[in-house]
Amino acid sequence: MTAFSVLSTPVLIGLVSSLLLALLPLYSELPGWVVFAAVLAILELVRLQRRTQVRPGRALRVALTLAAVTMVWFQYRSFIGLEPMVALLVLGVSLKLLECAGERDVYQVVFLGLFLVATGFLFSQSLPISLVGVLALAILLTTLVSLNRRSNQWLWQDFRLAVLMLLLAAPLMLVMFVFFPRIAPLWSVPNMSGQAITGMSDTLAPGSVAKLGRSAEVVFRARFDGDIPPAAQRYWRGVVLSDFDGEQWQSVPWRQLPEEERRLQAPSYSGELLNYRVVQEPTRQRWLFALPYAQSDTAGVFETVDYRLAVAEPLESQFAYDVRSQAVADSAEPLSTWRHKLETHLPATANPRTRQWVSTVQNQYATPETLAEAILKYFREQAFYYTLQPQPLNDSDFVDAFLFDSRRGFCEHYAYAFAVVMRMAGIPARVVAGYQGGEVNPLNNSVVVRQFDAHAWTEIWIAGRGWLRIDPTAAVAPERIELGLEAALPNAESFLVDSPLSVYRFRHLALVNWLRLRYDVMAYQWQSFIVGFDNDRQINLLERWLGKVSTDRYATVFLLSWALVLVPLGLILARSRQISRLSFAERSFKNLCRKLRARGLNRMPGETPRALLVRAENDPRIPVSLRQALTEAELQLYASRTDANPH
Amino acid sequence: MSTLFPADLLHRWRQQILARYGQWLKRRLPAAASVVLQNRRLFIFPSRSGGLFLVVLALLLLLAINYQSNLVYGLAFWLFTVFIVAVHFTHANLMGLRVSAGSVESVYAGQLARCTLTLDCSSRHRAHTALKFSWPESSCWVSVPAQGRVSITLERRVIARGWYQPPRVKVESWYPLGLLRCWSFIELDWSGLGWPKPEQPSVTTHLASAGHGARWHQQGGDDLTGFRDYREGDPLHRVSWRSFARQQPLQVRQFSTPQSDDMWLSWDQFETGTQEQRLSWLCWLAIRRDASGQAYGLRLPNVVIQPGTGDRHRMRVLRELALFGEVETPS
Repeated sequence: MTAFSVLSTPVLIGLVSSLLLALLPLYSELPGWVVFAAVLAILELVRLQRRTQVRPGRALRVALTLAAVTMVWFQYRSFIGLEPMVALLVLGVSLKLLECAGERDVYQVVFLGLFLVATGFLFSQSLPISLVGVLALAILLTTLVSLNRRSNQWLWQDFRLAVLMLLLAAPLMLVMFVFFPRIAPLWSVPNMSGQAITGMSDTLAPGSVAKLGRSAEVVFRARFDGDIPPAAQRYWRGVVLSDFDGEQWQSVPWRQLPEEERRLQAPSYSGELLNYRVVQEPTRQRWLFALPYAQSDTAGVFETVDYRLAVAEPLESQFAYDVRSQAVADSAEPLSTWRHKLETHLPATANPRTRQWVSTVQNQYATPETLAEAILKYFREQAFYYTLQPQPLNDSDFVDAFLFDSRRGFCEHYAYAFAVVMRMAGIPARVVAGYQGGEVNPLNNSVVVRQFDAHAWTEIWIAGRGWLRIDPTAAVAPERIELGLEAALPNAESFLVDSPLSVYRFRHLALVNWLRLRYDVMAYQWQSFIVGFDNDRQINLLERWLGKVSTDRYATVFLLSWALVLVPLGLILARSRQISRLSFAERSFKNLCRKLRARGLNRMPGETPRALLVRAENDPRIPVSLRQALTEAELQLYASRTDANPH
Repeated sequence: MSTLFPADLLHRWRQQILARYGQWLKRRLPAAASVVLQNRRLFIFPSRSGGLFLVVLALLLLLAINYQSNLVYGLAFWLFTVFIVAVHFTHANLMGLRVSAGSVESVYAGQLARCTLTLDCSSRHRAHTALKFSWPESSCWVSVPAQGRVSITLERRVIARGWYQPPRVKVESWYPLGLLRCWSFIELDWSGLGWPKPEQPSVTTHLASAGHGARWHQQGGDDLTGFRDYREGDPLHRVSWRSFARQQPLQVRQFSTPQSDDMWLSWDQFETGTQEQRLSWLCWLAIRRDASGQAYGLRLPNVVIQPGTGDRHRMRVLRELALFGEVETPS
């Protein structure tokens, strides 16, 4: 075997490509200099291998380590937190690369690479990221195969073997995935340090929703068991904004609610029952999106007093939950004094023109329903425009300026103004922010909701009927509600400027559109199963398969599932164990017989090799080289009998 | 501690355990001229890197539990099952390999003997990749292609004269992932001859009585006495290449050969010296004589070899010296 250096070409190719792949999901999460240092270290590894140069000395390595730790400290001002720890991990791998010379170093780098893949999964569990991770995993295993093959030649077989091993291991992995008990976290772990994510926020000021219209990012996917309600009915409530301070609308944090206001009084819902499962992308917010009025049995999801779904901790990664929605909430009870005060609160002085207008209109229309209808009619009949780019207005008297001067706005302008008008009339009113509509994917009966579906509307309280949804945007631009944002906007407006390459833009091409919808189905299935697999789902699944979950059934299935590995493995390895019972000499003789047959000379049954040799020598069809080989083989065949004894 | 476990007791225990282990291995892996590595011969255990790998898996599982990340769970489980699959692959890499004893070089005691092993892969589809064959003195990495045959040479230091049996060969394999080590010991039924270690006798030990070998130390300076025709077995350094170059027949230079008892290398020619010392001295003398081309004979208490020259003769003499006092093992 030729001289073998540990950092042989195949090992190097494996290390470089797998580390670059493993870094891919981390690029956006880490500061640029960390990524730069990692890439630099990878290039340095290639350079070190090219020429057999001296590795950096101990002093230099210690200095680099100290520098890295210091820089991470200055970047984050803390080592506690997922990002600083991942930054330290990446820098650790980079430093390890600089001293990578021996076999053990390669193993250590590969194991650190596995950690990189895992941390990539902590940041995102989406389908593409998972695929990148699996590819990195396969290449890391390939590196180990190449290292242990101890050859400087790069072979595809290494990669094929790694993939084969992964495939053979996959069934048992799935069984373990389903069967392994899901334990609660053993200790609380540092979370992400809260980079801003594009999405709905819990404050609403003119312009805050409009900026979401520029992005085609997916917010959530919802898969319905039955019929999907029409677009005009799909109001995905996210956050309820009841607290108005004269400039912006805000949600009331749970902690600020008085004790007796915190619980939802056992409401009775009626109307058609909708069952669906939502897979939500991380929002770093606590609320979930659902159609009114929603209930959920998913662990960790609770229902708030304003009929929303929420979770205890901000969503750092994808989250899947099951929802039951019914359109009507039967609430005959009056509003509590505290809530009535909250929902009608209005700063006294602002918007004098509106205030005056409202009092005149109020004289004509006494009941809240007729008043609301009159305001909507005003929106419909006056020259109001629906646009993503309204002109900025004076904050303190925003409603005056909007209703009587500019009359151009996006949904939040209309909701804002409408709720203020209602409150001026003494009617409890609030703004609801969420998403409206969404694209139906017929392939799996689901709705995909993107950032540009962001919407804001209002709810008013009518005694005896409860909260009533009123969407002033529907009065101005009904096509927004029925067809979506793009249909409602004038042509040249800035739809999707933040997503110039989004496939959504090319959906008019039939093939692109089909692929896009197909991908979406896969992404939903992936996230629904992988991301949403929790303790409840596990028990559901096990009960469906096992009938009753008991320890002995559990153990039996777990042990039987090993057959999933052992049977295919046995088949593959049995192929390799097909031992030809012939000795080396007999095999080479058999080979020669085949070559002779190809030239027309068949060995008779029972013919001795010697007799065959004699016939071959008299046969002009047999070339000399073959005759010589046959002589050689004949010698070997019989010499090997005595050969076995060394003396 | 030292009162409870005296060092010699510990040492004795250690020796006993090692001896038991050796006996057990011998029963489990009996010697044969060729050995096929099968299930019962193979041992497998996580390597050092494999241990580290399992620690990494435990950490990944902790990461998955604490961050409730299903993908990290999946990664940890996948790596674990890959580890299990690797057990079978590593095992299969050694499985079915046929190891046959080849030749064993005869050398002087204290030297390294080259021992040849023949490796046969009888599998039709799978090669044996990156196997390590080793003795403490030497090791060798080798791959055997599917249906292929490869010969390897290992070196082993011969401690004493006489027949020696090369010890168990350790064969190890880490392929494909290096996380597991599969190994076996191969006890082959083969042997080689160790000649006595040549040692120059000191003058004082030389028995100078009545002309016995008095001139042994002067024979380096012998005079050329003539030429004779080449016979098979003559040492090549005595061939007269100069005359051969003049297109004369191949001739050999002849030196003056003492016609006295000097030509005898005798057990009794030394006053002192243990048995092994005497054999070593005789061996040294025999090599000297052989190198200078002089005829020499050997007189041992039980064997007498008439004077002669040539490679065959030398081999015979060395063999007798090597086996002096030993029951010759049948070979």
